[in-house]
Amino acid sequence: MTDETSTGSGLILAIESSCDETAAAVVERGSHTLSSVVASQIAIHSRYGGVVPELASREHLRNIVPVVRAALDRAGCTLSNLDAIAVTSGPGLAGALLVGISYAKALAYATGKPLLAVNHIEGHIHAVLLEQRQLSATAAADSISQPMPLPALALVVSGGHTHLYLTRQQGSPRDGGWTYQNVGRTVDDAAGEAFDKVAKLLGLGYPGGPWIDGLAPHGNSKAVAFAFAQVKAKLHRPGQRAAMPRFLFSFSGIKTAVLRYVEVHDLQSSIRARHGALAEITSPLLSDVLPLCDAQTLDLIASFQRAVVGDLKRKTFLAAEVLGAHSILVSGGVAANQELRTRFTAEAAKRGMPVAFPSLALSTDNAAMIAAAAWPKLLAGDFAPANLSADPSLALGR
Amino acid sequence: MAETTELKVYQFESASSAETIQVGRELTKLLEPPKFLILKGNLGTGKTTLVKGIAQALDAADPDEVTSPTFTLIHEYEGSRNDKPVLLYHLDLYRLEGERQLETLGLDDISSPDSIVLVEWGDKFKSVLKRSNGEIHIEAAGGDTRKITVTLK
Repeated sequence: MTDETSTGSGLILAIESSCDETAAAVVERGSHTLSSVVASQIAIHSRYGGVVPELASREHLRNIVPVVRAALDRAGCTLSNLDAIAVTSGPGLAGALLVGISYAKALAYATGKPLLAVNHIEGHIHAVLLEQRQLSATAAADSISQPMPLPALALVVSGGHTHLYLTRQQGSPRDGGWTYQNVGRTVDDAAGEAFDKVAKLLGLGYPGGPWIDGLAPHGNSKAVAFAFAQVKAKLHRPGQRAAMPRFLFSFSGIKTAVLRYVEVHDLQSSIRARHGALAEITSPLLSDVLPLCDAQTLDLIASFQRAVVGDLKRKTFLAAEVLGAHSILVSGGVAANQELRTRFTAEAAKRGMPVAFPSLALSTDNAAMIAAAAWPKLLAGDFAPANLSADPSLALGR
Repeated sequence: MAETTELKVYQFESASSAETIQVGRELTKLLEPPKFLILKGNLGTGKTTLVKGIAQALDAADPDEVTSPTFTLIHEYEGSRNDKPVLLYHLDLYRLEGERQLETLGLDDISSPDSIVLVEWGDKFKSVLKRSNGEIHIEAAGGDTRKITVTLK
């Protein structure tokens, strides 16, 4: 409804606190990042081996005021310059989400600016779009035009998600709202979780996804054959859901297959030795880990990664083809995996279909992606209700 | 620890993940709420798979909808048992350290009279063990075979 002229500065301040990062950013018209500040809590959490809800909430409380202030300062603006305030409302840890939501609501109330609620997953999809828009803006003058042909198939793949969304823009590229149709998901473990758990099974510690990524090129990826059971979507309860996801992933079986391989090939003692040796090193590097892995283990790691990436690639491109998508967007932590990037890029080139990944800074949690996703909502007048609360299991699309 | 209550032990066997779901459906008959059970078993033995069967038996979720709670910590499903509403909770405490961090999960709130709570890695915490009124233990018994033992206080 609202056109560009009726908005003021086009500036949105976004706040993100759904998991382990407190982040704030100021983005102009969903396409130009003026500031993006992330107060990394990684150092606090690593001692505990993961995100801990209580610590996360407490750290968000400590960080939120300085992080928002830094975002405004670096953008060279004040609260009064803003057109709106955006915040992640879910999914995530309830206590962590509430810190961001409460602060954003208070800012919106105090300044009289509209409040916009953004789904964290939607943010990850817009991280890719934001970056593509910035890349194309340097090449072409029109920064509003859509650099990725739509509809796009978005693969959101992380420790908590393995989801496919058919992503469309309704109306004109200038002010159209975005819609997301969930067309695929995992039926058991997320892909990132499979990486982490296999790393743990092999004595590499947890989380261990990046170890697998680093070690895989040193093994023979064709040494161990892993097969994926093809999961068929079942309509158990007709009428309950309008559209069932059609592309289902399953990463629990391959975890069990790795376990079987370890048992059959008597790898337990070498795993124990590796685990023990790594426990002695405070911040092990790949060069510390590599000599602790025998050829058989490296082959297993390479074969596992090849199988998981192959399955993600096959189903994503099949879904894109079946659903008539014109481009592929990959986001989430696993989007950083090197083999995934290489093989998705090669397959996309073969099919003549554009594929985009976020840079490392935007593949992890940040607030610039929340501001980018909030911009079309502001244009569409899609404001958050006054009683906005945290929704830890907020779903995206249908 | 002079707990002299008689324990009831039930055993099941499974030769595949499909059978593990079947066992989950079957053992749901034993789970008269309230239940707060430790769900034990090594990585890859089929803990989430068993919960798929339990959720299905309670008409709380399709097996495909039950996913691992490792990252999200708590999954909640609404179902029914003998025409009475039941809340099924599936927790994974693997990533938590120390009793104090448990508090934010609100175990008091979810331990309601109409709940079945299944806690992976629950034996890491004394307070969780004390709260439990039994356990489900999945053990690998060679190849894909699993021995599933339900122990109720």
